[in-house]
Parts: sequence; structure tokens; C-alpha cells
Amino acid sequence: MLRHCLPLILILAGCSKGAQADLPYIGEARSLAAEWASVNEQASRGHLTAQYVHTMRASVREQLRTSQKALSQPKSDYGEEIAALLKEPDSASPQQLLAHSTKLKQIEDSLESA
Amino acid sequence: MNPLEITLGIMTAVGGFVDISELVFAAQAGSIFGYALIWVFAVMTIGIMTFGEMSGRVAAVAHQPVFNLMRHRLGLKLGLVTLFASVVSTLITTAAEIGGVGLVLHYLTGAPYLLMAAVGALVLGASMWILPFKWIERTYGLLGLLMLVFAAALVAIHPPWDQVLGGFVPQIPPGLSEKELLKYGYFAVAITSAVLFPYEAYFYSSGGIEEEWGPKDLPNNRLTTTVGFALGSLLAIAILAISAQLFRPINVGPQIPGSSALEAAIPFGRAGLLAALLGMLIAIAGAAVETCMANAYSVSQFFGWEWGRHRKPWEAPRFTIAWIAFMVLALLIVLTDVDVMSLVEYAIVFSIVVLPLTYLPLMLLARDRNYMGQYVNGRLANGLGWLFFAIVTIAALAAIPLYLLTSGGQA
Amino acid sequence: MRPTDPIKLVADLLDLPIQDKEGRYCGIVDDVELSGSAGKEMRVAALLVGPGAYEGRLPVWCYWFVRKVAGDRIVRINMDKVNQIRSVVQLKCTANEAKLHAVENRARGWIPKGGAL
Repeated sequence: MLRHCLPLILILAGCSKGAQADLPYIGEARSLAAEWASVNEQASRGHLTAQYVHTMRASVREQLRTSQKALSQPKSDYGEEIAALLKEPDSASPQQLLAHSTKLKQIEDSLESA
Repeated sequence: MNPLEITLGIMTAVGGFVDISELVFAAQAGSIFGYALIWVFAVMTIGIMTFGEMSGRVAAVAHQPVFNLMRHRLGLKLGLVTLFASVVSTLITTAAEIGGVGLVLHYLTGAPYLLMAAVGALVLGASMWILPFKWIERTYGLLGLLMLVFAAALVAIHPPWDQVLGGFVPQIPPGLSEKELLKYGYFAVAITSAVLFPYEAYFYSSGGIEEEWGPKDLPNNRLTTTVGFALGSLLAIAILAISAQLFRPINVGPQIPGSSALEAAIPFGRAGLLAALLGMLIAIAGAAVETCMANAYSVSQFFGWEWGRHRKPWEAPRFTIAWIAFMVLALLIVLTDVDVMSLVEYAIVFSIVVLPLTYLPLMLLARDRNYMGQYVNGRLANGLGWLFFAIVTIAALAAIPLYLLTSGGQA
Repeated sequence: MRPTDPIKLVADLLDLPIQDKEGRYCGIVDDVELSGSAGKEMRVAALLVGPGAYEGRLPVWCYWFVRKVAGDRIVRINMDKVNQIRSVVQLKCTANEAKLHAVENRARGWIPKGGAL
């Protein structure tokens, strides 16, 4: 039985190690989603200048792409979440963006406690 | 004592306290650990007060800046090692500050970041050429008082003041995992480095010579380094506390320097955003000028060249060439498009490693009656000086392992 | 301290900055030249200033690098040109008279005169 399970255990162990290595990028993406949400929230209240909103959104996207490229497991659940986040329009609702951030936070917490 | 001079000196110290490293690490520290790292800012501010006062006193009494006397105390070999390490760490810091200037101009205007970094460097260089020392210091220091918007923002968001004040008590938050403990340690070391940057001692002591301080200026020196640095530190603590209140609940651990400006935009709207961005711009620009000049001071003083902005640029030509070269080198680093946050991390880590070599000669000089006469260190200065020397030595030894183990605070 | 007083070479003299009679910095005491011999009275005959004076004070590889970058010139300052020695060595003459500002004067040619307040 163990002989049959061993490849699976090794694969899972490898995957887990890869996911652990991706933790910093998951944390970055989680924060970036929340920063994006904050920008959009404040923009909707007229608290920000157009240049600031535009440049911050561009910075967030650029960093998200950098984090995405650095992932060792882009097809993982967190990889898919980051990809979905990048598909959001610039003016996505803060709630939608925060939902991505919350999901990434849950994945981050479960990996950290693993 | 001239009250106007004292007031201007204090205000300059306040406006010039925060640079991009403090901005970044204060915001991140607050978002990750809440108010639990306030005490590190407070304690290390006492450290910079101690060493700042000493370096100003040495300049006023011995009429020699720190680096001149450092070579005499450490000798040529160790002096060269210190010079090299301090030049490299300060150059990286200058690059981080110029990158920060470029970023803030980018947020303000929408123009490309690298272009804004180059424009910023050019404007800073022009200001260093045209303005004499006192005007350089006062211009950036006083305009940097726009950073007071963060203090106002903290009051406006009605934080839990009991928790903010509780943050001043040295602590390690309970229930942290091993990984979180390492991260907490890394942030404590990073804040230590950011507050006690070596360039501050070099710039401050050289500035004392530039302004021809004498023993009559010692009370001014004491007030500037205590009151000025204390108030400046409160600005950094305000940034941390706002981040704890606004960013932590929504899982923001600011990855982009521009997010700090949201701390003022949330309570004050567009006016707050603009004040914060302009304050950040001036504070970071001032730090870029200080670090660039600190490197030129260090090299000039080590090799005995004529130096100082109290002289016209052509009267101290090698000093002038040195600061221009450092500004250009720093800009070239920025133009490689290296991430500004990475530059900040490298600046922090490199600088803390140099700190013991910076502050040991200063301690030895300030205790030496042959140089200082009746103005030698008293018991308090000696006690605090050795205490903080021990702290920075421990922090210097821990910095690189903690950086690696926590992936620069990100793991 | 006067130049004729007993002196601790390392603690009191080596690596001190040098200022000329107008208060201008013009180098560091990179090495010293002694007169006399072992067992008899030794005197500091001259101060040696310049990268060439590093030769005995740095590892060979390090001095090789210094020579490549800065050359190996040495300027010799007779002790009779020294006024006093405190936290700085004060000369009785100007830097130009002591031939200590040659490089500084060459560098001045690169710096435009104008625009500074």
C-alpha cells in the first residue's frame, strides 16, 4: 500500500514545498489586491487625483504580473486566483478586489499552518 | 541662544527625519504587527539622539567632523574598510531615495518613473550646486514639515490611543509562530537601521563644521538632537500607527511606496493626498541630498581634501566632483529599473552592518579628554552610548541571517 | 603640541588631517619620516602625504589597486613647516607652497565658476 502511495506522497510533498516557496508572492498579491481596493474605494469618494489613481493601478498590475511570473506553481489555486485578479478591470469594485485579497489570505494562512 | 535659530534647527530636524526607508518600514510594520513595534522607533530614537548629540559636540569642540577623526582612531586599514562599506551602503541609500523621488513625481504627474527619477536627480544636483549649506538644510528640512499631515491624519482617524501608547512599551507580541518571530526580529533590526543610518552622523557632524559651530552652540545642538529628533520620530510612529489602524484590518502590507499617501487621503481627501505626496517628495529628496553629500564628506575627509558647501563648488573641486559622481552613480543604479523597495531593503541591511564601525570611533572620540576637554562625555552619554553600541552590534550580526530567513520580511 | 615635543606617533600624529595656514585642508599624515637610529633619539623629520605613502601600510594587493587608481606620488613636508599638532596638523605655509594642492588645482580646471550663491 505504501509503495503505491509513495509517488503520490512525494508529489504532494514536492507540491507543498513549491507552495511554501510561493508564500512571499501570495502575500504580495494579497496585499496588492487590498491596496488596489483601497485606491478604488478612495477614488470613488473623490479623495484622489486622476494621476495618482492611474499610476497606482498601473503599479499594482505590474507588481502582480511580477509575482505571477515568479510562482513555481502557476496552475495552483493561488495561481488561478492571481490570474483572475489580473483579469479584473482597472475600476473593479473594491468589494470584488477585497474578495480576491481575502481568498489569497485564506490560502496563505492554510499554507503557513501546514 | 538665538530662539529663531533654535526653532529653525528643531523644525529642520523634524522635517528631515523621515526618509523612504522609515516610510516603507513604518507602514509595513504597522500593517503586520499593529502597534507592537512602536517601542523600537522610540528606543532607537534615543540612540540617534545620543550619537547625534555626540557627533555635533565633537564637531563643535574638536572642530573636526567624524570621518576625519575616524581614520585617525581606526588607522588606515580599518579606516579604508569602514570608508568602503559606508560609501557602498550610503550610495545604495541615495539610489533608493532618488528612486523614491522618481516614484512620487510619477504619482503626482503621471509622467514615466525613470524620466522623473532623472529629472529629480538633476533638480537635486542643481540645488546642491546653487545653494549654500544652510539653505540646503533649511529648504528641505522646513518644506519637509508637510509630513506633519501624517500626524494630523493619526488624530483624525481616532485610533485606540491606549493601544498606541501601549506600543511604546518594549514587547514581543504573544502567540507569534517561529516564522512570525523571525519576521518581528527582522523588522526590529530594519527599524534600528533606518533610524540610526550612518549617513546621519556624517552629515550632522559635517554640517556642524559647515556652520562653524563652537562650544557656544552646544545647547542648540542638544535641543536639536533631542527635541527635533523626538518630534521627527513621532512622525514615523504616526505613519506606523495609521497603517495599523487602516491597513492591517484589510490585509494591506504596503507593497507600493505610494500606498502610504492613502493614510492622509482617507481622512482628508485630495488635500491630504497632495500634502502627503509633497511631504514625501521633499522628505525623500532631502534624504537624497543628505546621503549624497554624506558620501562626498566621507571621501573628502578621509583623504584630506578641501570640502564643504560653505565654499563655492570650485573652491573645493574634488569634493564637488565627488558629490556629482555619487549623484550620477546613484541615478545609474535607479536607471537599471531595479525595484525601489528592493533598494530600500539592501540599503537597510548594508547600513546596519556598517553601524558599529561608525559609532565606535565616535564614542571613543567623545570620551577623549584630549580632544573634548571639559565637554567630554558625562556618565549619561557614556552609558547610553555604550548601550546603543551594543544594540547596534547585535543588530548588525543578526541583520543578514534575518534577511535571508524571512526573505526580506516577506516570508 | 609643538613639533619638537615628545610625540606618540600613532596616537598623536599618524592619519591626522593637515590644514595650511589659511585653514584649508590639504591632506592627511599618511606616513612619517624619522631621523636618528635605534637606541638613540629619534625625531620626526618630515610628514609624508600622498598615496605613495600607503605602501608600507597596506597589503600588497590593496596597494597595487591604490596605485592604479591614485598613483604613487608622495609629498614630503619638513617638520619646520609645521606650526602645531592638535586635532589637526597646522602648517606655517599655504598648501600651494607645500606643494599639497597639485591635484586639487588640476581638479579645479574641471569645475565651472558660476551659479553658486
